[in-house]
Amino acid sequence: MTVADALAVLRERGPDRAAENALLGEWLLARAGLSGEAGEVTVAPGSARDSVVLADGRVSGTVHRVPWARDAARVALLADGRAVVVDRADLTVQAHVNLAGDARDTVVLDGAGARTGAAVDPEELFMRGALTRIALMAGALDRLYEIAVRHASDRRQFGRPIGSFQAVQQHLVNIAQQVALAGVAAEATVRRAGGFEIAAGKLLANRAALSAGRSAHQVLGALGTTREHPLGQLTCRLWAWRSEYGDEHHWSTRLGVAVARAGADNVYPAITGGSTVVSV
Amino acid sequence: MLRFAPSELTDAELALQDQVREFLAAELPRGSFAPGLGMAAGRDEDFSHALAARGWLGMALPRRYGGAQRGVVDRFIVVEELLRWGAPVRYHWVADRQTGPLILRYGSAAQRERFLPAICRGEVSFSIGMSEPGAGSDLAAVETRATRVAGGWRVSGTKLWTGGAHENDWFVVLCRTSDEDDRHEGLTQLIVDLRAAGIAVRPIAYLDGSEFFNEVVLDDVFVPDELVVGDVGAGWAQNTSELALERAGPERWLSTYLVLEQYLREHGAVDERAQAMLGEVVAGWWGIRALSLSVARLLDAGQAPVAESALVKELGTRFEQDVLDAVWRLVPEDPDPAAGSLFERLLATAILGAPSFTIRGGTNEILRSLAARALRP
Repeated sequence: MTVADALAVLRERGPDRAAENALLGEWLLARAGLSGEAGEVTVAPGSARDSVVLADGRVSGTVHRVPWARDAARVALLADGRAVVVDRADLTVQAHVNLAGDARDTVVLDGAGARTGAAVDPEELFMRGALTRIALMAGALDRLYEIAVRHASDRRQFGRPIGSFQAVQQHLVNIAQQVALAGVAAEATVRRAGGFEIAAGKLLANRAALSAGRSAHQVLGALGTTREHPLGQLTCRLWAWRSEYGDEHHWSTRLGVAVARAGADNVYPAITGGSTVVSV
Repeated sequence: MLRFAPSELTDAELALQDQVREFLAAELPRGSFAPGLGMAAGRDEDFSHALAARGWLGMALPRRYGGAQRGVVDRFIVVEELLRWGAPVRYHWVADRQTGPLILRYGSAAQRERFLPAICRGEVSFSIGMSEPGAGSDLAAVETRATRVAGGWRVSGTKLWTGGAHENDWFVVLCRTSDEDDRHEGLTQLIVDLRAAGIAVRPIAYLDGSEFFNEVVLDDVFVPDELVVGDVGAGWAQNTSELALERAGPERWLSTYLVLEQYLREHGAVDERAQAMLGEVVAGWWGIRALSLSVARLLDAGQAPVAESALVKELGTRFEQDVLDAVWRLVPEDPDPAAGSLFERLLATAILGAPSFTIRGGTNEILRSLAARALRP
């Protein structure tokens, strides 16, 4: 599966384990010279709370927020700068979930035997993780837009479709704008996944998640706030993905530092040329 | 469903971008002129002539009228560079952006021959005569009236917010030529000489003290038949299409760009607050520019992205204000409009100009209603 194909799957189908693992787990192992093993591999995204040490081919410590660790055959992680992979049988999983109830497990390693690969810059994994989240968020926002627009047309109150009220239309416009921004961000990062594009793309996706999410809930009213309703499922995931692989503060500061370093004369060239002009 | 499809610039388009950047660096180096904010920048006929000499006015007009026949995206590239540079675009702005395409689309053969080559050479300037005291967002309420006389029309009424009426050559006046059951019927567009007998131009003192906008009173002004644009009575549709397709250009999201750039030049982004602000606004521009460019591509493909244009203008103009607020928050004292610092002067000008961003060319409230018509399952 090419990167573009896998990102398209994430955008169209939502959190697809095969696509996400291909983009992150299998990529990390290939990057570290550890590919070739069969079985699903998930990746520890690298939380500030993590602490792991690698000694004599054994890993000890704890990593957090690992997607589907409980179901994976293997868990890949970065330990002391090296990519390592540990079999499910050699680690302990504490089940945790994100806001949407998706598995984000804590993995405890107690001198677990690990295949050790090459050194991989954690930034590379982080960027790639952000790329997956941009695609997921753009896809969720596409569906959120459809739900809000359909509801505004179907739902009648005061004897007419609620979408005929200007106050409701304002929410639809905001949703359309935010969804369009997240959409171009996702498409642009598929075309050119440089640091600038990923930083700007994740910022736009994060902003859209909060803003369009709020508007969509307002359009759907109480109906959208149940555990079963597809809108609630989408917004819960959007809120969770917002924090994964870089929140607004992370990416805005980082992008700002890079642009400031390039200097005032290069701000506009950066806006038009992205990572061909500025290194984030 | 909305049709935003982001695209990269082609090699030829990137080459054009480089040419414009080199031209500006050579002709208008930083520090050699007082940069303006977006389309409210300075007026400089010589500069407009220099642009014309490069083929950068009337870019989308056909060659037979002196245009470059290059399309909407090419014009987008030139305009965004001019605006972000703060270049003095005011002399040719309305003619190049609005009146040229209007005359090409609806004007008579004689009008095209008369005005389009002059627009492409940067030798004629236009204002807009749409708003009136009683007709703002509700443009069909215009009361300026043209009455048939031998060989033409006699026009009386009052136009408001006519930018540059005191310095431009012509303005296109939307007026009532007949009373119909449907008030969108019976409207007509006339090209009116701003120096004609019966015209009185009175400046409006704007918030920043400038007197660019005017009230224009027409008292029995004679307009010959050959200056009627398109069909008598078809003014509403013509005027609407003139507005709709010019909405989403770079002038709708670059009005405060220079405030940010000059802040960085003078202060840098030395702390986390400034860095985060910079990252936020740069990401915003990157995304909005992609949407705006995609509208230009749709126009080049012969489509009529009315809803997309309205969404981008609504988004872009609010963004211009957000950028301003974000930079302003980093400044401890209220800016002095006569300060020695260029940043401070630009900030003051932007603060005083910002309320108009979300009003001019169609208020955001009207744009939202317009766009919402397309937001259906």
